[in-house]
Amino acid sequence: MAAGRLGRSEQINGWLFIAPALVLLGLFMIYPIVWSLWMSFQVGKGMNLAFGGWANILRLTKDPVFVHALVNTCIFFVVQVPIMIVLALLFAVGLNDPTLRLRGLFRTAIFLPCVTSLVAYSTLFKSMFSLDGIVNKTLMFLHLTATPIPWLQDPFWAKVLIIIAITWRWTGYNMVFYLAALQNIDRSIYEVARIDGVPAWARFTQITIPLLKPVILFTTITSTIGTLQLFDEPKNILDGGPADATLTLSLYIYNLTFKFMPSFGYSATVSWVIVVVVAILSLLQFFVARERRPAA
Amino acid sequence: MTRSATWRRALGLAVAGLSMMTASAALAATTVTVWCWDTNFNGAAMREAAARYTAAHPDVTINIDDSMAQNDIRAKLQTQLLANDTTGLPDIALIEDDVAQKYLQSFPNAFVPLSDSIDMSQFAQYKVTPATSNGKSYSLPFDSGVTGLFYRSDYLEAAGYKAADLQDITWDQFIDIGKAVKAKTGHNLIGLDQSGDGLIRIMMQSAGRWFFKDDGTLDILDNAPLKAALETYAKIWQADIVKPVAAGSWADFTGSFTSGDTAVAIDGVWMTGTVKSQPDQSGKWAIAPIPKLAGVDGATHYSSEGGSSWYVLSSAPAKDAAIDFLKTIWAGDKDFYQKILVGQGAYSAWMPAVDGDAYKSSDAFFGGQPVWANFSEWQGKIPGIQYGLYTDEVNSAVVAQFPALIAGGSVDDALKAINDQATQQMQ
Repeated sequence: MAAGRLGRSEQINGWLFIAPALVLLGLFMIYPIVWSLWMSFQVGKGMNLAFGGWANILRLTKDPVFVHALVNTCIFFVVQVPIMIVLALLFAVGLNDPTLRLRGLFRTAIFLPCVTSLVAYSTLFKSMFSLDGIVNKTLMFLHLTATPIPWLQDPFWAKVLIIIAITWRWTGYNMVFYLAALQNIDRSIYEVARIDGVPAWARFTQITIPLLKPVILFTTITSTIGTLQLFDEPKNILDGGPADATLTLSLYIYNLTFKFMPSFGYSATVSWVIVVVVAILSLLQFFVARERRPAA
Repeated sequence: MTRSATWRRALGLAVAGLSMMTASAALAATTVTVWCWDTNFNGAAMREAAARYTAAHPDVTINIDDSMAQNDIRAKLQTQLLANDTTGLPDIALIEDDVAQKYLQSFPNAFVPLSDSIDMSQFAQYKVTPATSNGKSYSLPFDSGVTGLFYRSDYLEAAGYKAADLQDITWDQFIDIGKAVKAKTGHNLIGLDQSGDGLIRIMMQSAGRWFFKDDGTLDILDNAPLKAALETYAKIWQADIVKPVAAGSWADFTGSFTSGDTAVAIDGVWMTGTVKSQPDQSGKWAIAPIPKLAGVDGATHYSSEGGSSWYVLSSAPAKDAAIDFLKTIWAGDKDFYQKILVGQGAYSAWMPAVDGDAYKSSDAFFGGQPVWANFSEWQGKIPGIQYGLYTDEVNSAVVAQFPALIAGGSVDDALKAINDQATQQMQ
């Protein structure tokens, strides 16, 4: 009896302790998420909302801007995520070499971009990549291009610029994960391989990469999610332009709510599309990685 | 005991005294808060107006906040009115004419109908129309958006053109001039941003047509001025006389002509201040009416771009003072308008002000041209139109077609795509 009462009071105390956090979590996290799911079935302008069933989903299929934003977003992550992951991996392996001097300095330099403010660096990129900015001046000085590259004026180069910007911002961040994982690989494995005469490149592809697979999977998923939510750079550098060339799903949601006549229901639907795409891609990446593990 | 009683009494007295002071202060002083977005232009004009009003009404304080960008003001207004929470909103807000209807119709009771207390017939009618809803007008028109063709007279002269050659021209002639200027001087004619369709809207209003029919439905597919405007826009790019401007960058856009790179700027009269920002270019600029769309019924040389107006919020605590302020200064002080014309280049939409001396003066910067008299003549001829609710949506749809048009795509396909996209967005 006594023990049971004690157990119950402990239980109550336990719940009381986590109650504040739970209430806040429910109020600011779970409630908005559930509410946005409910909202995604509402149609109408401004506050004149009414239940619309599947109307918003039908609208998605016929909306050229949504398709355009989705394609742009996909281009960004299909091109950018692999480039960044490979770069981060190469940097990490290079900077993990104990014989390299000034390792700390290089590591800091490559990680530093990801502590800068998104808006601040976007603004800086905008001026660096202008027609008479430092990047074009350098390229022309090196005779790599005869005329300045229209980074901010041309739809194609604008996309390239966004990819350069997010790669610059996030490569260091992913590199840190690889560096941490590399520290955990037993040195003796490499020693054995070296004694057996395995060349450096094979050591990288046959030992390092398989052992880093869980981390590579993790960084790929988080980078994909991050790129799907891309907003700050296209908004601040190009405002989605020129001519919607860098319009992403997040930017479209923003436009639907704050720029156009507000359609909250429809913008909630578009935001749930991002959720669904992220879920599918994450599952896919898990699946691909899991299948290979027994074979390796 | 006694000591604590004394303390308590003293404290009570102090509290009473304090509350009396604040009460009397609340009775005497009214604070009117104003939101606008350009320190050197509308902010400065508002400060001048505030100084004049508070001199005669010392009990009123006018707070002018011009720290936000125009888009921030729009987003703040929209978010708060939607959330039905008006705390922190200003008493007076500046809103651009072509988006006004969106606010008036989405939030029917959010703004005070100023036509109840101010005579709107004294204002240029093309400024009153966009702010009229259900027979009442809600805004006090601020600056005129009357457009002009600002051009570098020195560049054009080098290419063999005189002022008379720019009167009554078509856009095709304009493009020919651009080619000649580029061949002779190496300068591009105009800076354009593919993310903005300002030029299209200028062309359309000059022909008295917009994106919508009278009942608010889309008017895209059989819209002759729009078709002509898109064709012209593509031709301007294809003639290789454009300096491309960074997407969405106002500084880059104005820099294209203030730096001396390009030969012309086609914009509202409010651009005068920016054009004049480089004193060393004095005497090298001139103005002309904008070119005309050839072969379009109702096409003129007169249009409007980007003018804005003052709105009083119904929720405002100091709305009576705000209305009285607008009425006294902005709809009654002729001298004030002369001052902001000279100081800020703020061109009045209040007709009586246009008789003033400043409006007759000529400007050495524009080679001694009587610029204000010119603008005032053109202002009277601007076709008035209703901008409707969905201008932002159609702008986006138009802009999305620019790359295809510039690459030589069919205008009819573009019109169809614009129609499809805008139909989707207007749901």
